[in-house]
Amino acid sequence: MVDASSTATAAVRQLRWSLSSMRRRVWLISAAVVVVSLIGLLLSWLDPAIRAPLRPGLDFTGGTQIQLERQCDPACADLKAIAVSDVIRDLTLPKEGNAPLPQLNAPRVQLLDAGQSLVLRLPTLSAAQGQTVIQAVEPVAGPFKDGGQSVDTIGPSLGRQLLQSSLVSLLVAFAGIAVYISFRYDRRYALLALVALAHDVVIVCGIFAWLGLFFQLEVDSLFAVALLTIAGYSVNDTVVVFDRIRERTQQGSDLPLSLQVDQAVSATLTRTLYTSGTTLMPLLALVFFGGATLYWFAIALAIGVVVGSWSSIALAPSLLTLWEPQGD
Amino acid sequence: MARYQGWFAFVLALAIAAGMFLLRTPLELGLDLRGGSQLTVQVQPAGEITRVGSEEMEAVKAVLERRVNGLGVAESTLQTVGDTQLVLQLPGEQDPTRAARVLGSTAMLEFRAQKPGAEGDLRSLRQLRSQVRAILRLRDEQALNGDSDNNDGIDLDQLAEAQKLFGLDGEATSETDQLQQLLAKVNEEIVQQFEPAALTGKDLVTAGRQPLQNNPNSWEVTLSFNSDGAEAFAELTKSIAGTDRLLGIVLDGQAISEASVGPQFEAAGISGGSASISGNFTAEEARELEVQLRGGSLPLPVEIIEVRTIGPTLGAENIRRSLVAALSGLAFVAVFMVIAYRLPGAVAVVALSLYALFNLAMYALIPVTLTLPGIAGFILSIGMAVDANVLIFERIKDELRRGNTLIRSIDTGFSEAFSSIVDGHLTTLISCAALFFLGTGLVKGFAATLGIGVLLSLFTALTCTRTLLRFLMGYSGLRSPNNFLPNSQLPTPSA
Repeated sequence: MVDASSTATAAVRQLRWSLSSMRRRVWLISAAVVVVSLIGLLLSWLDPAIRAPLRPGLDFTGGTQIQLERQCDPACADLKAIAVSDVIRDLTLPKEGNAPLPQLNAPRVQLLDAGQSLVLRLPTLSAAQGQTVIQAVEPVAGPFKDGGQSVDTIGPSLGRQLLQSSLVSLLVAFAGIAVYISFRYDRRYALLALVALAHDVVIVCGIFAWLGLFFQLEVDSLFAVALLTIAGYSVNDTVVVFDRIRERTQQGSDLPLSLQVDQAVSATLTRTLYTSGTTLMPLLALVFFGGATLYWFAIALAIGVVVGSWSSIALAPSLLTLWEPQGD
Repeated sequence: MARYQGWFAFVLALAIAAGMFLLRTPLELGLDLRGGSQLTVQVQPAGEITRVGSEEMEAVKAVLERRVNGLGVAESTLQTVGDTQLVLQLPGEQDPTRAARVLGSTAMLEFRAQKPGAEGDLRSLRQLRSQVRAILRLRDEQALNGDSDNNDGIDLDQLAEAQKLFGLDGEATSETDQLQQLLAKVNEEIVQQFEPAALTGKDLVTAGRQPLQNNPNSWEVTLSFNSDGAEAFAELTKSIAGTDRLLGIVLDGQAISEASVGPQFEAAGISGGSASISGNFTAEEARELEVQLRGGSLPLPVEIIEVRTIGPTLGAENIRRSLVAALSGLAFVAVFMVIAYRLPGAVAVVALSLYALFNLAMYALIPVTLTLPGIAGFILSIGMAVDANVLIFERIKDELRRGNTLIRSIDTGFSEAFSSIVDGHLTTLISCAALFFLGTGLVKGFAATLGIGVLLSLFTALTCTRTLLRFLMGYSGLRSPNNFLPNSQLPTPSA
């Protein structure tokens, strides 16, 4: 059907991305970003205020977070965060059973959306104590919108469980994917898919560690979800490229492995870029229109998609050429 | 061709069925979208039970279920989560204070006879208690009227002495706290003056409440016992009738009231199996105690470890925002697909709309409770569904560039892309399964929608896109390679 010369020209035309010739540069870029990420995680760990690779949020540390939407029609009354924290500091909470009273001397008060919403971070409060705080703050920061409040109270034990279950499910997902790929391809591919995966997860974590160091950004349970999704997405992306490489090697071509890899990557380049693009579009829509709850979640996923594409079109296939006998 | 017309009819019928089903069955919205309160309760081992097993969980759940029903919040649900946790959802509830109080206490009710010879200690303890209560009531009134504190008729020295006696000095920050602590301590001390329980709430049949006749602001809780309980109660009252010994009523280790039993009951005790507790209850307190007693006492203590409350307007805002995000994301993707892939791009947009429709129908069918992370999972799965189409169309383009005929290119494109689509989807599904079975709460909702999305995407990409494309190829006007690829990229026929 297709004569040899047209195949050859197609092969040359499709080599838009000669990966193996610049594989050292690819490794250098990936290694540099991973090292910077690891430094971020390490610095965060050494920071006496954090003491963890990432700044843990309410979901992991436990505590109470109260969000109040202020009535801003026509305009919000001027409010200083310090005025609110003064009120909270002087507050007497109702007693709850025999439990010791929570200490309110260091509340964290934030104003979001140009003063439209007020976020309070407090130690773990009971439901009744939470209501006391809201009532006390109302004269200073109110009036609040009816039905526009949210109160989240998370016990410290729950945070530990959450961390544990996130880590366990991440590891189980890793193992499951490794088994699947070794079964469908071979162990080399599985190993490289996991390297690409670890690369993506470490970089996203690293970026959030730096954000935590400089902007006090905290990670919550949604971040854990984002990491797990990135893991799935990254492997999905890598597998498509591997599938092409396998297809070429199975056709029994006597071209060197590096050229086959280059051809496979070039053939899937459009697909990978288009797919990343179309996945990024809804994610960016979430970033811009999705509101505060999903903002950082969408950003984490968007970073993951970009890094994931890089690792699947550059890092993982270029590492595969390591298995090629040296000497050319 | 006839084969594809059959498939086309099938897909069309499926789409209509999904649409009809969605119109009839509304989607279940999570609390973060509709507003309400969610409480997570941790069951704790106590006494001889060192590990909480499924039997204990069932018992605790049954008690809590009865209490929750007593609260009377519409559509409330109580579910077991993990091995030792229960999650209570109260849609629309803005103030979970009452639910937390009713759920959190063990509600272990005991009737005890006073120890012989403890009259002296008991009298001074009860006197101290009524004094503390009086001051608390006075402070409440003063706070209500805006009066400054005054101490008419209060012996503060005696209180300070009592505090020192119980080792409570200087612990609490405010006067009210000090008094509350003292009251709790005194109530525990009073329990010490009584013998072990002769009768517990286990033998209770039902409980009710009514205002006291002489004081309508003060309520009492009425109890009726089963025959065992009635017998034990008669026995207990008989043993102390006509003496100086009191009958003590203890709830969760705190004395709530004491009563004397008149000499007229010396012969047979108080029979009939009913009793009442008047412990200075307000209407609200009486109602809570009634609900707890009716539900029975908890076999194990519980701790409330998580309370999440979200207002309905905040929930509506969440829906609006994620809807805008989902629709604008879809619109971008649609425009992109048509520009990049022409006719098949447009077909993919139709297939993706079907995909979204099937997804929503699945959520209603299973049913999946839609939460904010769930919507995020859905939006992300759209990206993955597009990926399957991109893979196929890229392959079709490749085949066309090699000079294959249109129909042949389409068939090869689908079969060649098949393995990478399956691999990519299955690996995502593995992560989803890990998240779903090992994760909790938010994570589970996300994994559920993403997992359903991935499965459906396999179906729509391999069936709907293909069927629609082949169906359209039945019209010769559309059967031009130029609808797939710009002419410049097509090989010249003579080459």
